[in-house]
Amino acid sequence: MRSANDYKKIFTYVAQFIENEAQPGEDIVFTMEAESSYFMRFNNAMVRQAGTVEQVRLNMIFCSNKRTWNHGLMLTGNEHDDTELLAQALNRARAEIVMLPEDPYQVIPDSNETSESVFTGKLIPEADIPRTILEPAKGMDFTGLYSQGTVCEGTMNTKGARHWFATETFLVDYSVWLPNGRGVKSSYAGTQWDDKAYKAKLEESKTIINYLTRDAVTLEPGSYRVFITPDAFTEVITFFSWNGLGEQGFHTGESAYLALKEGRESLSPLFTLTQDFSLGVEPRFNEFGELAPLKLTLIEKGKLVNTLVSSRSSKEYGTPSNAAPQGESLRSPVIAGGTLPEADALKALGTGIYVSNFHYLNWSDPQAARITGMTRFACLWVENGTIVGPIKDMRFDESIYNFLGAELEAVTKEQHLIVNSETYEGRSLGGSLIPGFLVKNFKFTL
Amino acid sequence: MSNDLKRLLEIAIKAVPEAEWVGLRKRSTEETMYFVRDGHIEQSGTGLNVGCMVEVLYKGQFGYAATSDMSLESIQSAAKKALLVAQSASPWAIYKFDTSVRPATKAQYESPRKIKSSRTAASIVPMLIDVCNTMKCSDKIVQTLAANQSGKLIYEIVTSNGAEIEQTIYYQSLIMEAIAMDGPVVQRRTDKGPWAYCYQGGIELVQPERAIQTAKKIGEEALELLSAPPCPEDTRTLVLAPDQMMLQIHESVGHPLEIDRILGDERNYAGSSFIKLSDIGTFQYGSKLMNITFDPTVPGELASYKVDEIGNPATKEFIVKDGILVRALGSLESQKRANVPGVANQRATSWNRPPIDRMANINLEPGNSTFDEIIGSIEKGVYMMANRSWSIDDYRNKFQFGCEYAKLIENGKLTKTVRDPNYRGISSNFWRNLVAVGNRDTFEFFGTPNCGKGEPNQVMYVGHGSPVCAFKDVAVFGGGK
Repeated sequence: MRSANDYKKIFTYVAQFIENEAQPGEDIVFTMEAESSYFMRFNNAMVRQAGTVEQVRLNMIFCSNKRTWNHGLMLTGNEHDDTELLAQALNRARAEIVMLPEDPYQVIPDSNETSESVFTGKLIPEADIPRTILEPAKGMDFTGLYSQGTVCEGTMNTKGARHWFATETFLVDYSVWLPNGRGVKSSYAGTQWDDKAYKAKLEESKTIINYLTRDAVTLEPGSYRVFITPDAFTEVITFFSWNGLGEQGFHTGESAYLALKEGRESLSPLFTLTQDFSLGVEPRFNEFGELAPLKLTLIEKGKLVNTLVSSRSSKEYGTPSNAAPQGESLRSPVIAGGTLPEADALKALGTGIYVSNFHYLNWSDPQAARITGMTRFACLWVENGTIVGPIKDMRFDESIYNFLGAELEAVTKEQHLIVNSETYEGRSLGGSLIPGFLVKNFKFTL
Repeated sequence: MSNDLKRLLEIAIKAVPEAEWVGLRKRSTEETMYFVRDGHIEQSGTGLNVGCMVEVLYKGQFGYAATSDMSLESIQSAAKKALLVAQSASPWAIYKFDTSVRPATKAQYESPRKIKSSRTAASIVPMLIDVCNTMKCSDKIVQTLAANQSGKLIYEIVTSNGAEIEQTIYYQSLIMEAIAMDGPVVQRRTDKGPWAYCYQGGIELVQPERAIQTAKKIGEEALELLSAPPCPEDTRTLVLAPDQMMLQIHESVGHPLEIDRILGDERNYAGSSFIKLSDIGTFQYGSKLMNITFDPTVPGELASYKVDEIGNPATKEFIVKDGILVRALGSLESQKRANVPGVANQRATSWNRPPIDRMANINLEPGNSTFDEIIGSIEKGVYMMANRSWSIDDYRNKFQFGCEYAKLIENGKLTKTVRDPNYRGISSNFWRNLVAVGNRDTFEFFGTPNCGKGEPNQVMYVGHGSPVCAFKDVAVFGGGK
């Protein structure tokens, strides 16, 4: 399998080629994403599908004469072949771009910063993966995906910016199931594989799943006290990107936080949200090679203090850029911890629902910041601080302005790092640091 | 079928003499997109994606190795990696497969196109700008979007047992959207939902006249919604247009019937199913008016093909007949594991992901009612159009869906427009309350390119067709905090 060094060599010859080939009046920036990954999908502690993926994706943004053309392609890793592909890409860009109208908000890459972050890991030898992952789970109905390998991302532009990020990681993203159809979800992720830590994780799951052997509690629709775990809240984080805190959405009415900005709605002083790259889980540079501030507070004690501004929005709306990517999505989110010790969460909940996980959330009314979704996995009914049993899954439909507003009672002191487990196109980088949330009233509808 | 791929297969076979079977699955994709916002070009470009997956069968276990490097050395190395994966996984195999799940099919397919040449940016972008300008029929329209995405996807498969498959999918999509804002009220209207106008075919699918006509309607309806009252909250008869039926079918029929979900493969990600294998043949899924087919043979529908990506020839099959579940959506691999009949639906997002059970075109067959007969028979109802929100539980039971636009039905007539229409229900209860199915005149089909599933994750294009349908006793409601 190719290593981070192999991919760095590809990045270097691509950067050199682009620099040599760029003509006067042309500005070019490219982002290269590469991976050597091993995937093993398992069901009932047996292998369903397993294999490896090696790929090098490149996206080039070609700017000339107030016009922009994007060109994506796969590279082979062979310099001769790849430079031929790149030459074809440049030719295509030059031919297409003259047919486009001018773009009044065109972003010309102009940063010249450089950065390099390389994290090495200790991963399982590939031939040992099935045994290492599945042997300790024997006897459990153990389902999910194991992935490991190298992930790299680099960006360069013709103004001199050069950024390189490489990491070696593993992730066991799994759930354990009972014959009654109830399951508990967990994960074990990192850069240094540790058999003992993995087995301890499995033991923890075995303990939790004992609660799910009890009869499921059927709840009527209505409002309940809830404790939302960090794992569950990860699903909510998306809603600060989608119709979220991007500058453009505030101008086009798409942002669910327009009412917050205009003072028509408020969030709790207990809620503070920051984009914080000091988490070290993803690069600070965007597709133009621009470096975002290490920390950017977006919502401070319930007040909107910053939005995510791309260079394009900066040109269009006059707000200074903070190097947000084109889609103005939130990266490396950190939500400030509060004062509630996690160990006291059930006691503080009293009687209500302990929400371990949410599932399939969507806006039901973005302008009211109202989202709907389901409870999933080991959600528990708690009475007087004691677990009674699992609940039958419930649908909620509730506004962020309620559950992170007046209804937010407490935030846990402890925060948990939840790594991004998405593998669309490639293994994702990124993650978030999230506490748990105690909410006085949370609406369930079905 | 290129000789190069056959040559690579020979190299791969030689590299792994221990393998019981070797297959190469190559995918070449070229997609081009023009995106215009508020009459200005915002993004344009093309994406080329070429790569190959080498698959090896060893002692009943498949192993794969996928690479974007298609040199001889790389394919040779990939074959060896795939064998190593299969060897180490074989003792842990969930099922011992044989070559019967990789039939030696020889097939070719190409999307039907009336116009085979393409149009350049010089003609497409001005049309998109016109579309934006047409949608902006008032200062209260605060954003307009228009985009065209087209693509050519070539699937090539060669295997050591003689399969030779080449399928070429051409598609076109057109996206239009207007956002209207008046104080705190913001409304969005699109062309049949955010990404529904997506079909196999050539550039004949992107007709400027139709685009401008549709743009005018989108702008006017977005504006109309600003002053519309919210959808009432009560229980009434719900009539759904085909552009919302698409989502209803997809989420509450298509996904729960995927056999890999029923077998538990998806439990950790997309979820399981309320359907059990023992339900097939007996389960009353819906009313007797419900007839649903798996049909990858519809010309122009987005997920049409000749064979799936393990070489199983695709045929039209009823999955729900007169309301009874008669067949589920499982590939040859799932059929072996579950010992039930299935369909040809093992498909992959690209060369870098293994094929899994997927929907293709899942269509609700037309009934006998005219649109006027359906509306005329309803005393109190609401007619909802175009999906804007979707959420369903991991067993595919409890759903809540929202639409862009709705009209009340009062005493057999369409009356007031209402905004923020939503409805919720439980899948089989909902389908059992299917009380009217429109005739062929009310039937439309659409495509969507972004159905997510699988670990590692995959996104897939699917097609759905339906007539207008009516469901009794549905909980409907509007927006607000």
